[in-house]
Amino acid sequence: MKNEFIHNDELIETEMEITSDGVDVAVGDSTYHIVELTEGKYRVEANGMKKTVCCVVNADKTFLDIDGLLIELGIPSEDGNSSGGAGAVAGEKDKIFAPMPGKIVKLLVKEGETVAEKTPMVIVEAMKMEHQVNAAAAGVVKKINFADGDQVDTETPIIELEIEEKEE
Amino acid sequence: MADKYFKKILVANRGEIAMRVINACRLLGIPTLAVYSTADKEAVHTRSADEAVEIGPPPPNESYLAIDRIIDVAKQFDCDAIHPGYGFLAENPLLPEACGKAGIIFIGPSADAMRLLGNKVQSRIKMADAGVPLIPGMKSAGASLEQFEEAAEKAGYPVLIKAAAGGGGKGMRIVRSAETLKESIEAAMREAKNAFGDDTVYLEKYVENPRHIEFQVLADNHGNTIHLFERECSIQRRHQKIIEETPSTALTSEIREKMGAAAVKVAEAAGYRNAGTVEFLYDTEGGFYFLEMNTRIQVEHPVTEMVTGVDLVVEQIRIAAGEPISDYVRNISQRGHSIECRIYAEDGEDNFMPSSGKILYNEEPVGPGIRVDSGVAAGTMVGVEYDPILAKLIVHAPDRDMAINKMINALKDYRILGIKTSRRFMIDVLEHTEFRSGRTYTSFIETHMAGRKVDTDEVSSLAAAVSSAAMMRKVNASVGGGKKEMRPSPWQTIGPWEIGMRIGK
Repeated sequence: MKNEFIHNDELIETEMEITSDGVDVAVGDSTYHIVELTEGKYRVEANGMKKTVCCVVNADKTFLDIDGLLIELGIPSEDGNSSGGAGAVAGEKDKIFAPMPGKIVKLLVKEGETVAEKTPMVIVEAMKMEHQVNAAAAGVVKKINFADGDQVDTETPIIELEIEEKEE
Repeated sequence: MADKYFKKILVANRGEIAMRVINACRLLGIPTLAVYSTADKEAVHTRSADEAVEIGPPPPNESYLAIDRIIDVAKQFDCDAIHPGYGFLAENPLLPEACGKAGIIFIGPSADAMRLLGNKVQSRIKMADAGVPLIPGMKSAGASLEQFEEAAEKAGYPVLIKAAAGGGGKGMRIVRSAETLKESIEAAMREAKNAFGDDTVYLEKYVENPRHIEFQVLADNHGNTIHLFERECSIQRRHQKIIEETPSTALTSEIREKMGAAAVKVAEAAGYRNAGTVEFLYDTEGGFYFLEMNTRIQVEHPVTEMVTGVDLVVEQIRIAAGEPISDYVRNISQRGHSIECRIYAEDGEDNFMPSSGKILYNEEPVGPGIRVDSGVAAGTMVGVEYDPILAKLIVHAPDRDMAINKMINALKDYRILGIKTSRRFMIDVLEHTEFRSGRTYTSFIETHMAGRKVDTDEVSSLAAAVSSAAMMRKVNASVGGGKKEMRPSPWQTIGPWEIGMRIGK
């Protein structure tokens, strides 16, 4: 049985075989022997390493806890797109979204302005804290869809950018 | 139970602190009433209290901060006391006033004490008069260079020039000797003018490598004011505490005694009743300076409870009922070492960005000396409306080294999936040699953790392997041997329903 996951824009392929007490999963050069302890909790053995790892699957992602470190993997959908796991999805760098639903405290750029990568673009307040959202790429501010004080969700871009073509 | 103190207590809060109060009431046999906003219909505190009443929509102003509504509910449901927890209304003098008018007991200090201690300027003047040490410096903005020079000599270098309208480090200059005083004042004035349009600056002593050390106090209506030793809360991100411990590695028993006496003096000077916390800035030479007094039960109160054996919320309830501080509380000592880690819904790998979503998996660590104060469970929706604290993990061990080890293991065994938490970040703080050696200053995170980078690529293969197994849901339970199909539970497949009738598919 084969599976694919996405982590930091990279595809990871796995191949799984059922054994007498669990499964063996091959990833690259390593093989992991996995036994389910209770729902969502797994015992993993590989190359002398033994770990208990928790994992749940929800919609298009898997969520894992490895010794307190949290990782999310994207599950590619039928049409080849994916949630991409954590981080911004490539190709969406021209849109600035709120990291979570909240209120716009201050827009830091104007339409027509040229910005460098990592330029602070907007400050959004959520959970009683202010969050600065920076440009993911250099470009020109094409369109601003909100004003200071507006409520925003995570679906509608706050700012749209015209990305500068990068010279390789 | 000889005396229940109150007929029923209304808990005017949510999350883990609402649960903490409910649990203290259970110890005393007092029924509880929870209030909740429509966002918290399914919240843990809503379903844990004996009764629960909806008080309004999600915005705090219309629910958890709506004093009139809360007082109405208390009257309607026959509650004779209100516990405010921390945050929300805990330090709002209008609540004790409204309680007084309605004939309800407020479990906390008087409105007057709250007002005095809530005003930084007034409370500092009062405490200076009472002989409590404050950070030396100018009482008002300086006019001439001579005034600044005189104040700097008196406070002792290094000194700090600060903008009166200041904040965020702008218009701030550290001055280490008299030679650079003049140019530093001028630079600070220019910066202040640019940043705030006001070039007023003043001077105070610069405390190097400060620690945040606070003392827990209890005061009853029978003339008893006591302290329950210190908590060190120097590990902070964005000026918010994330790891607290007691005893502090910085204090000798002599300084502890002096600071404790000063804390009691602060509470007495303010006419304080019930539980409160006196915060000090502590320098490397054993000097300590009063910052402020918090007029509520604090988030980090459990570490005090672990080493003293006192139940602070029970004492709060007893004191509010007019009882003296319990006898056993007046004879306490510090036994062993306790550490608390705050479990926030935030991403420890991405600048503590808040995280929201549904908790898909929640498993708390267990064992001797491990305590979890939690306000969430699997299935809880973590929204953006409220403070992102989910739970607190507290450990107790015979000494600090063992407490650190116990905490590291407990953080690994505390599994929360579906939203981000900063457990791995806190493990890395606890494992840091500077933390181990007890050199915990308020600058710890920016000094020692700034360059921290976690490489998730290293474990991505492991993550993908386990994900494969989780997706198949066909892995053997190790007990029983044979292969068996894991089926979703009927609770997951049935859809919305009510007893007696189905309401949808």
